[in-house]
Amino acid sequence: MRIVVCICQVPDTAAAIAVAEGELDLARVSWVMNPYDEYAVEEAVRLKEQFTGSEVVVMTVTEGPARELLQKALAMGADRAVELLALSAPSAPDSFGIASALAGAIRNRYLQMPPDLVLCGKESFDHQNGAVPAMLASLLDIPFAGPVAALRAEEGGLELERETECGMECLRASFPVVVSAGKGLNTPRKTGIRQVMEARKKPIETISAGELPAPRINLCGVEQASARKSCRFAADSAELLRMLQNDGRIPDREELRA
Amino acid sequence: MTKHYLVFLELRSGAIAKPSIGVWNRFQQLASERGGRVSGFAAGPAAEGAFDLLQGSGTLHHAGAEAFGFACDEAVRGMIETLAGEQEITGIAFASTAMGRRLAPLLAGRLGAALFGGCTDFDADEGVCRRLIHSGAVVASYSSASPVTVYLQGRELAASGFTSAAKPRIEAFDAAPYLVSGINPMAVALCKSMQGRDIAEASVVVAGGRGMGGAEAFGLLEELAALFGGGVGASRSAVDEGWRPHGEQIGQSGKRIAPDLYIACGISGALQHLAGISAARSVVAVNSDPDAPIFGVADYGIIGDVKAILPGIIAAARDLLKKK
Repeated sequence: MRIVVCICQVPDTAAAIAVAEGELDLARVSWVMNPYDEYAVEEAVRLKEQFTGSEVVVMTVTEGPARELLQKALAMGADRAVELLALSAPSAPDSFGIASALAGAIRNRYLQMPPDLVLCGKESFDHQNGAVPAMLASLLDIPFAGPVAALRAEEGGLELERETECGMECLRASFPVVVSAGKGLNTPRKTGIRQVMEARKKPIETISAGELPAPRINLCGVEQASARKSCRFAADSAELLRMLQNDGRIPDREELRA
Repeated sequence: MTKHYLVFLELRSGAIAKPSIGVWNRFQQLASERGGRVSGFAAGPAAEGAFDLLQGSGTLHHAGAEAFGFACDEAVRGMIETLAGEQEITGIAFASTAMGRRLAPLLAGRLGAALFGGCTDFDADEGVCRRLIHSGAVVASYSSASPVTVYLQGRELAASGFTSAAKPRIEAFDAAPYLVSGINPMAVALCKSMQGRDIAEASVVVAGGRGMGGAEAFGLLEELAALFGGGVGASRSAVDEGWRPHGEQIGQSGKRIAPDLYIACGISGALQHLAGISAARSVVAVNSDPDAPIFGVADYGIIGDVKAILPGIIAAARDLLKKK
């Protein structure tokens, strides 16, 4: 099975993100692999272990070097990594630019036939757009199965489960297909010294992402969100409900019934 | 150029999904205030009178084929793409449902359109949107740099309150050319149906964390949620303990919710949890630790053991709702 996994790095999930002088201040945050992408890498490596002769290629679009990120994926078991350098950083929120860079690199690499499976995390923890996987599928003109919570491979295709508002939906997908990984798909493995050493011998290619299309959205400004509220404490349940009622915090009947 | 918005009306068991009606109303409101017109598109069989509750003017294109009973994104994407081209659509709007979250970026990718998702505030006329990023710590403003913008809207915005005496005109859309064989991926079945209300769509969400002490105590939360017609959620630790399913997890690695009323029970309020509730309009916290960070983002609080306090809240809520 030929598998491509698209990954990115995000600020550590516990990092407090600050805004300084109207811009995001990310100078002091430490960067980690986007947690949803870890599920995607893990799933790809499990498939590789299941189907001999498979190859897992990880790709990332980045402005500067992303060695640590790629080495982590290689240590988890990916075979090779591609670092796609974008000259002018695809302004972070512009999913279209990122998806275009990935689509271009995948097309160049798999000239004859698209890879069987493209795996992505369902969204990045920082911008939370969740748009790249589907955009990538539409740019590659291959189907998109959405974020999945379970994946089983069989000859020529996949059996998938994805969440809907009515419950879990079962899907059958044939290759090629783009799938994004949601929580619950697996438990990503921890890597030890041995895997990290082995990863150093694996190839990382650095290539230019080429000229990216004009961004479809532009970031015009950021502000710190004010989450802090002043909490009013109630002595007991009856007082709490009275407060909620008096302040009009309980949705009206029509809203509740719908 | 005149704005022309196309709203996707998702059909579930023959009825329009409530979040889609919210999006329809928002764009009707916008068009009536700022100019422009609204069209609708629905795919799948609709029950008798399913469209009667839609207000406002415009045309609703309905592809009524039985084949769309199950989600088949490619066909729906193709039909919307055709309509968008023929009707000179400037904005395509989806409710943030599982299907909407797949279709919106598929279309944006296909059309090379801007995608505005989860806006807490937007002006479609000016092409600007504000939304929370970095787990709710930052509000970012964006502008659209494309003639077509795709909107993906959840409960982050309060209902628009739009009403009108007008009714849209229903027009049949010929789906035959889009019904190709070999649809991939193919939905085969609903393997597990969901218990209770989806927390992303509920106007009241009651959630429990480690302080609940075990899976059994969530029965109290289900009872309270049921009174409000709401949904039950859980913190990451409650899910990791196996007390509740993944689909109920609220937070950075779970769902981001935006109910009118959120009641957090026995949840301390780790940064990762707060990331999921930053768009909630009112927050109530019940926790035994007065220094729990959840009180820092709560509007109302009670300090004490949740299991001792919840029965009182349930009784008081029942009394109050009886009078309402």
